Amino acid sequence: MKKTPVISLLGFSLLGLWANLALAAGTQYNMRVDGLACPFCAYGIEKGFVKTEGVKSVDIDLKNGLVIVKTEDGITFTEKQLKRIINDTGFTMKSMTESPL
Amino acid sequence: MSKNKTNHSFFKIIFISTTILFTSLLSACASPLPDGAKSYQMINSWGGNGDASGEFDEPTGIALSKDEIFVSDARNARIQVFDYNGNFKREFGNKGTKSEKLGRPMNLAIHKQALYVADYFNDQIKIYSLAGKHLRNIGSSGDKEGEFNAPAGVDVATNGDLIVADFYNQRIQQLKAEGNFIRQWGTTGKTGIWSGRFNYPTDVAIDDNNRLFVADGFNDRIQAFDSQGEYSDKWGGLFGLNTSGSKPGWFTTVSAIKIGPDSNIYVADFYNDRVQIFDREGNLLNIINVAPSELQHSAIAMAVANDGSLFIVNHGKHEIQHWRK
Repeated sequence: MKKTPVISLLGFSLLGLWANLALAAGTQYNMRVDGLACPFCAYGIEKGFVKTEGVKSVDIDLKNGLVIVKTEDGITFTEKQLKRIINDTGFTMKSMTESPL
Repeated sequence: MSKNKTNHSFFKIIFISTTILFTSLLSACASPLPDGAKSYQMINSWGGNGDASGEFDEPTGIALSKDEIFVSDARNARIQVFDYNGNFKREFGNKGTKSEKLGRPMNLAIHKQALYVADYFNDQIKIYSLAGKHLRNIGSSGDKEGEFNAPAGVDVATNGDLIVADFYNQRIQQLKAEGNFIRQWGTTGKTGIWSGRFNYPTDVAIDDNNRLFVADGFNDRIQAFDSQGEYSDKWGGLFGLNTSGSKPGWFTTVSAIKIGPDSNIYVADFYNDRVQIFDREGNLLNIINVAPSELQHSAIAMAVANDGSLFIVNHGKHEIQHWRK
């Protein structure tokens, strides 16, 4: 029996499964925004993201001045899109990091 | 005297004169406490961070009936009710249909046995009986007449008209009890520092003679309008023109306003972690400093009992505090 094709088939299957899982996962965006200590302001930013399709959750990290957004599986946003959502609430995004969930 | 020495003296005189003038202006716009102003002491507090009954997650508003305290428990999306000793009695606003449930409750008002809740997330004023039964909603999302974008505060006139601090729409709206638009103050969607304009208004208070007081949030001031709705006064900072600071009588983000049973004006001066008390002409009467938490500021709202004692919402410590002179 030739083992190589079986091993290759198994390997490719696992690779495909991993790829699917990676693509299906959501994304976390950590955005630095000033002024979050004011709840009227922070709530406005949250409200802007909660209304946005594809957003799973929004959290405010007061200690580090971050707005943390997690998206639904497979959903991503560009920096421009995120900046616009924050600008629409009257604030400015200072910086951003992105990582898969 | 040489030309250089003359110039030097001239500029020295200008500099000193300007400094004296500026310092005088600043002093004139600060309001020292009147002689004999009694200090307040905290006599009770309750709460703590959590979602159990009696705990809070960022409380934002408060209103009093004759024997109960109603608190906006913002992130728990509910109203909690206590007796004046801080004993939990009931909660509501977090059950039922979408129409009945709160999103993010902010400042509160009580009028004729009903609680009016500024619901920031749902863009509505939600109205409940004091027992907690949902009665009706006023408004919807938008910037047209009768619509709201993040209402932050509400009060009710003696004839039942609603007055709403329409935060992101930069205006104050007056509506009939059923929600029909009557008038507005401010320019929709546009901030401004001049009289009658607002910069994220957070709360309103209207007295029995229809004199209106507005917590003009990021203009760091109070604006007053007479019984006809015409601008009459403003105070806070340098000439009430968006100058923040911590001097007595100045503000750094006003977050709530109430008229006490003594007819005085009580203002939550959030970033300065204090409540300031004024007479109706804006003369400072007293200051109550409220200790903040490590991460968050403290005094976001307050309500005044008939005996003159104050219930203050300490946002950063997630608690209600009872203060007395």
